[in-house]
Amino acid sequence: MLTKGNLLTYLIALLIILTLNFFLPRMMPGDPLMAIYGDEALVQMSPQLKADLTERFALDQSLAEQFASYWLALFRGDLGYSYSYNAPVTEVIFGRLPWTLLLAGLALLLSTAIGIMLGIESGWRRGGRFDSGVLSGMVTLSGFPDFFLGILLLLLFAVNLKVLPLFGAEDVYSGLSGFARLIDIGEHLILPLTTLVLARITGGYLLTRNTMIGVLKEPYILLARAKGLKPRTVKYRHAGRNSMLPVMTQTGIWMGLMVTGVLFIEVVFSYPGIGLLAYDALTFRDYPVLQGLLLVSAFCVLGANFIVDLLYARVDPRVSYAH
Amino acid sequence: MHIDPKQEVVKSKGGRLGLTLLLVVVLMAIFADLLTPYDPLAQTAQSFESPSWEHLLGTNHVGQDIWSQLVYGARTSLVVGLLVAALSTVLAALIGASTALIGGVYDRIVMRLVDAFIIIPMILLLILLSIYVDPNLGSGAIIAIEVLIGIIVVGIAFYMVRSLGWVGLLIIGPVLALIVLARNLLPTTGGLIIILSLLSWQGGARTLRAQALALKEKPHVAAARGFGANTWYIIRRHIIPDMGPLLVADFVFCVRRAVFLQAGMAFLGIGNPNVVSWGSMINDARQWIFLDAWRWWLVPAGVALSITIVAITLIGSALEPALDPRLRGEVSAQN
Repeated sequence: MLTKGNLLTYLIALLIILTLNFFLPRMMPGDPLMAIYGDEALVQMSPQLKADLTERFALDQSLAEQFASYWLALFRGDLGYSYSYNAPVTEVIFGRLPWTLLLAGLALLLSTAIGIMLGIESGWRRGGRFDSGVLSGMVTLSGFPDFFLGILLLLLFAVNLKVLPLFGAEDVYSGLSGFARLIDIGEHLILPLTTLVLARITGGYLLTRNTMIGVLKEPYILLARAKGLKPRTVKYRHAGRNSMLPVMTQTGIWMGLMVTGVLFIEVVFSYPGIGLLAYDALTFRDYPVLQGLLLVSAFCVLGANFIVDLLYARVDPRVSYAH
Repeated sequence: MHIDPKQEVVKSKGGRLGLTLLLVVVLMAIFADLLTPYDPLAQTAQSFESPSWEHLLGTNHVGQDIWSQLVYGARTSLVVGLLVAALSTVLAALIGASTALIGGVYDRIVMRLVDAFIIIPMILLLILLSIYVDPNLGSGAIIAIEVLIGIIVVGIAFYMVRSLGWVGLLIIGPVLALIVLARNLLPTTGGLIIILSLLSWQGGARTLRAQALALKEKPHVAAARGFGANTWYIIRRHIIPDMGPLLVADFVFCVRRAVFLQAGMAFLGIGNPNVVSWGSMINDARQWIFLDAWRWWLVPAGVALSITIVAITLIGSALEPALDPRLRGEVSAQN
């Protein structure tokens, strides 16, 4: 449930990011325009663009006035200008965002779903062969850094076996449309998605398994059994459903971690989402894009938290009764 | 909480495996000089030589010996991991304990900030900070960090030897050796260590605060208060010693995260290019993926990194029953 406290936390998080974005470049010695855009960009900029940017962000004024116009620009949705893409930062970021949302959203959904299923089974058969096998598999898997896992899959399936595409999100020059394009996008999605799911599955699994172990000791499980319910019903409807709750709460935090995971995976597979954009911006020293990305991804994490809060009330009715 | 974390790790199969694997990596890092014939940064042969007796894993794109880089990479990973974990666990313990004991406005403000920090996408923040914060420290800053690290490490060593006896000495000995050997890493990685530490204490502080809140109500703490002990004395003598298993778990978790983030940053090409690191080896090798070199270049570096993280994870999950007693016991629900 979205409480007042949560909202305040979100606001503080945004405030920290905005303050960092404003003060970090301006604390550097010298011309703020140079600190914000970097000296390479400054050489390439036309005098007209320079004058325009200086005016829009009041860079020749006092710090207080710069702060005011920074906020004004934000409210207009103006995150500055990307010199390496020759376009407003907002436009650049929102052009890339759908790919990341597709990849990260699917990965989060799949890894959570599979993690919960395996966790329920594992907790139910605690100590058995299935449980210890999956448990040690998961612990080992979680040790592999996502980028290494990605490169291994890339080497195997794209470089050596040549069954899946090597990079990108679609074959841009093939001119496919309709269903064929969808298939193409799907093919490009398989490797990055698999890597992300593999790298993210452990958290949900472990949490569900541990909760399941606790839940199975509750009196209502004993009662359900005593009523003569089928083991399947007890496992899923009684124990399983309650073991999902902590995972739901954690999903919001995992969304934040997803930004990290997706960044590495997008770099490995040259997948054109915001992670690759961040990497390219780092390479080209396109600072405004990086700052914009920090803000936009924080907004995405907050948005995901908000959705999770809403979903949570549906899965656990106690939450909405309590308020 | 009368649970001995040491026993939990040694008792479990996974814990023992984790300790063994980690010991191999630690020995590699300590005896790096003896294990390698070349300076990892020196150009010793032609580029892209295949493995031979002179170069066990061949050479990379600029003719550096890959085996030497692999061995010295262990040093970088472990030193960054251990120091970040030490600094951030100390911060987490101090902040967690003090917010719980002092409470009031201080507690509310700090905990709000902690919650907010947990939401911010860490890796993007790291990338941004790495651009604006100069990673190369001045000599004054290095001396300051050395003194700080010295105090913290000696403090932890003292605490471990006192509470764990010879086992503590066994753990802390190699760590001390490693840190002394790797002093020359500080100028190039010190900035990263500080930034990572400042960004990783938040989660730990939250759990430790909850634990301290529970401990605060215990009769022996009330008794100490009755005898006129002040807050700092209670934190030092009663709260922090009683948080033992949680502190160990937080430390292990921090090492794992720091090792991963250090490798990740190097993989993205952030930081000093003269730091030998598994992350940057993977990044370099990735550019030459169509040559055969990835077999003895990319894979060993990735496997070494994975083994290290798996080992730390195994130790961490062996600790879990110490933290959550519900997971102990052998009763299975299967029917």
